[in-house]
Amino acid sequence: MVSVRALTMRLASGGRPLTILEGVSLDVERGDAVAVIGPSGSGKSTLLGLIAGLDAPTEGTITVGGVEITRLGEAALARFRRQTIGYVFQSYHLIPTLTAAENVAVPLELAGARGVAARTRALLEQVGLGERAHHYPVQLSGGEQQRVALARAVALDPPLLLADEPTGNLDSATGAAIIDLLFALNGERGSTLLLVTHDPALAERADRVVSLRDGRVVGDRRREPALTS
Amino acid sequence: MTALRLAWRQARGARRHFVVFFACVVLGVAALVSVGSFAAVLNRTLAREAKSLLGGDVELRSARPLPADVDGELSALVSRGATVAPVRELVGMARGADNGRTVLVELKAAAPAYPLYGRLATTPAAPLPVLLRDDGAVVQRELLDRLGLRVGDRLALGSVTLTVRGVVESEPDRSASLVTLGPRVFVAPETLERSGLVQFGSRVRYRTLVKLPPELAARELRENLARRISDPGVRVSSFDEAQPGLRRFFTQLTMYLGLVGLASLLVGGIGVASSVSAFVRRQQPTIAILKALGASSRTILTMFLVQTQVIGVAGSLVGAALGVALQPLLMAALAGFVPFTLEPRIDAVTVLRGVAMGTLTTLLCALWPLLDVREVRASLVLRREVDDAPPLARRRPWAAAAPLVAGLAALSLWQAGSLKVGGIFLGASVAAVVALWLVARGLVVLARRLPGAPSPAWRHGLGALRRPGGHSARVVVALGAGVMLLVAVALLEENLDAQIDHERRREAPSFFFIDIQPDQRDTFARLVREATGGTAPALTPVVRSRLAAIDGEPVTRAMVQARGGEARETTFYYTREYVLTWAAEPPVGNVITRGRWWDGTPGPPRVSVEDVMARQLGIDVGSRLTFDVQGVPIEAEVASLRKVDWQSLTTNFFVVFSPGALDGAPTTFVGTARTPAATEAALQSAVVSAFPNVTAIPVRDVLERVGLVLADIAVAIRVIALFTVATGLVVMAGALASTRYQRLYESVVLRTLGATRGAVARAFAVEYGCLGAAAGVGGTALAAVLAWVVLTFVLETPWRFEPLAMLAGVGLTVALSVAIGFLATFRLLGEKPLPVLRRE
Repeated sequence: MVSVRALTMRLASGGRPLTILEGVSLDVERGDAVAVIGPSGSGKSTLLGLIAGLDAPTEGTITVGGVEITRLGEAALARFRRQTIGYVFQSYHLIPTLTAAENVAVPLELAGARGVAARTRALLEQVGLGERAHHYPVQLSGGEQQRVALARAVALDPPLLLADEPTGNLDSATGAAIIDLLFALNGERGSTLLLVTHDPALAERADRVVSLRDGRVVGDRRREPALTS
Repeated sequence: MTALRLAWRQARGARRHFVVFFACVVLGVAALVSVGSFAAVLNRTLAREAKSLLGGDVELRSARPLPADVDGELSALVSRGATVAPVRELVGMARGADNGRTVLVELKAAAPAYPLYGRLATTPAAPLPVLLRDDGAVVQRELLDRLGLRVGDRLALGSVTLTVRGVVESEPDRSASLVTLGPRVFVAPETLERSGLVQFGSRVRYRTLVKLPPELAARELRENLARRISDPGVRVSSFDEAQPGLRRFFTQLTMYLGLVGLASLLVGGIGVASSVSAFVRRQQPTIAILKALGASSRTILTMFLVQTQVIGVAGSLVGAALGVALQPLLMAALAGFVPFTLEPRIDAVTVLRGVAMGTLTTLLCALWPLLDVREVRASLVLRREVDDAPPLARRRPWAAAAPLVAGLAALSLWQAGSLKVGGIFLGASVAAVVALWLVARGLVVLARRLPGAPSPAWRHGLGALRRPGGHSARVVVALGAGVMLLVAVALLEENLDAQIDHERRREAPSFFFIDIQPDQRDTFARLVREATGGTAPALTPVVRSRLAAIDGEPVTRAMVQARGGEARETTFYYTREYVLTWAAEPPVGNVITRGRWWDGTPGPPRVSVEDVMARQLGIDVGSRLTFDVQGVPIEAEVASLRKVDWQSLTTNFFVVFSPGALDGAPTTFVGTARTPAATEAALQSAVVSAFPNVTAIPVRDVLERVGLVLADIAVAIRVIALFTVATGLVVMAGALASTRYQRLYESVVLRTLGATRGAVARAFAVEYGCLGAAAGVGGTALAAVLAWVVLTFVLETPWRFEPLAMLAGVGLTVALSVAIGFLATFRLLGEKPLPVLRRE
């Protein structure tokens, strides 16, 4: 599903060049749930963003679903994100001027989907927010906002779901509920999940755990099948 | 579709930004529509009243009685069903028969058929011939007021005594010029005959008004008559070209007003661009989210364009409504010198045009900042462990600048209706914006360079000027443009007033006395000397004539057309009545530009010609001019050309003969006299009582009449220029509001550090004051340039430095901007620090 080759990302920080990712290579199988862990500053969020085509790497290639996205132009990237990626952010990133339902509707509308209202309602009910469809983000709690973001991320049934510290801003009980929901939604759809976290407990729920440190892959292990059964 | 839906929802969060935007479009379009509606009503009225304004379908006009061949033509017309009404008009002196007070009046004696079109309204309402029977007079109310008379009282005019029988309320064809010399007096033709005012040398305008039967077309007849009447001194006009002077004046006035209106729309455009750019900056997170969700830049751009255009259209519609609503105001301001009643009306074309211009300006001015949407990167949504990448060298959307500039240029040309004027306007606008922008940059640089300011208020106030986001430039440009227009109008007015004043004080005489007959000369001089306490009048001999031939070629209609074409300015020099004089020395103040003035040696007749006249006639030193003086041709060689300062209020001449050349020609005298203001009325009465045929033109009075018309025009321009200032202030409020969050944070931090609310307010005051000072100084300096250009090249009047008006311009701008600044930001001062800091 995802194939990352020799990915390098350099940024300038305070005027000094800073290497975020250094020669990262990674392959993710279709249907896998992969956790990317590492300490703060290890480059895991950047990796996720690059796979979503939100930014262009300094070097290296990324292929998603057979398409080399590092060669795509802006408009093609937008189409790629719409059709292939569902993204969940740590800070939700709901559009403050839109209601919950409208936020969920955005990707559907961007894709020109039919029956937007019904699908939006169904999605919100799925995340347990059927009653709060017409609330604005500021009127929702953090957990509720993240549920809306989840509903929005899976609205178009994207084959690849990317989640960047989805529980980072939530207390542990709410966080656990969100993770359950995330895995449930992913399981139902059979999509591939790539999850960035620094919470080892959370990582344990994935099929595979990739560790990053200082922009390099320092560990990659599949969970023992015995433990899953 | 998606973009539309998104746009609709997205707009909910943007109201504050769009208030300024909306207000800018409203004000700009309101200015354009109010001017446009006024122009439309004026044009419609001019067209509808064309026959009344001319007085007939066709008018023949001459400074002399119509030649015999014309009478034949007219008789032929009458036999085909036309009505003909001869009218004579001249200026003369009216005197209260019982109290001796005198007033310069415009006399009119018309045939009973007058008026052929329109209605002459009198009180009491009665046919004019009835009222004028047995030496009756019908006069404008102004005359009664000035002479202290009432209907029924007696009035002396030349050598007849009249009885005032009524008052003229309105006269259909009295609109030839904006400034009249005095109130109207109607008398019967035979009364005029007996008054002795129509004699040799008097300036009578002979008009023959013709009303045609329906089967005769006015324009065709005009052309036929013009062909058959060889005397070029007879001007033939048809109603559809009536009052070209007046029409030209209004066309120009409304064009200038329209440009001032367009300026306010363009300043509004700055407001649009500035609030859109602030909006895009605030929307960056949303844009990044949308991009992360797969929205393309194009979709987002379309979404915002839809939003801005909806507001642009709505603002244009409201602006058009406001413009229409303000129309009566503008009309009231201009009623003073529009010689007929105007009825406010909604003109669909004007409204549509205003809405189109508002929408187009919105589109053009919103597009540029909206293109920044493309630069917002989706990666903004990422929680970065490091600072974001340094801002990329921004792709300057220069490709978009070309259609933008072209669009604004097209708007200017459309409004101006002329390539030249539109081009000048555009060039001037660009120059003004660049100059103001440089002033703003200078202010920012100065704020940065200034060594440690003495007080914290100054330090923080100056520091705020270089706040990122460039609000300083926007405020200075927008406000400066408004100040420029308003101060320019004030400077022009001051200059013209000063000019009038100056003339009055300088060598300007108190009176011009015209038509003094040779046998009255000595008694006149004595009388003036006695009345003024010893000052003798200056008397200049004049001979009235017409240009008969140039280098032996007779001046006929065909010749004039062949040489001058149809240009009115040129025709004027061939056909006008020339007032000749002779002199041994060049007139004081005239400058010989070519040839030489004659010395005392006798020789053949020679003339000195005014240089513009020479250019228009295509003559030079050595050319021979023949003048027709009462049927006698007098030929003279051009010996020199002179430059004449026509603005100096002295007796100036186009043509001056060498002494002796005009001997024996019928001569009258023009007298000028100076007297203190207090004795003017007495002198006028004394002269008019003793010499009823002499006309006294009181200079002060005429200048005051001119001044009043100028003041009316200035009011009109000022009303429209105020729109620009208002728009500038809205732009300023918007620009300051866009720095609101930063400002709030700064003020809260300052207060946390122990600054009082007053100290923060003082820092704000320094900032707003500096912005106002920059806009004021820049705008006023540009106003001075604009006023100088207009005075020098359009009005050809000397420029005077008016430091007071300019200082007032700067001072008021500073005061206004401090006031508006506080209005836009005072609420920040009341915010409690802790919640603000927690939000950060």
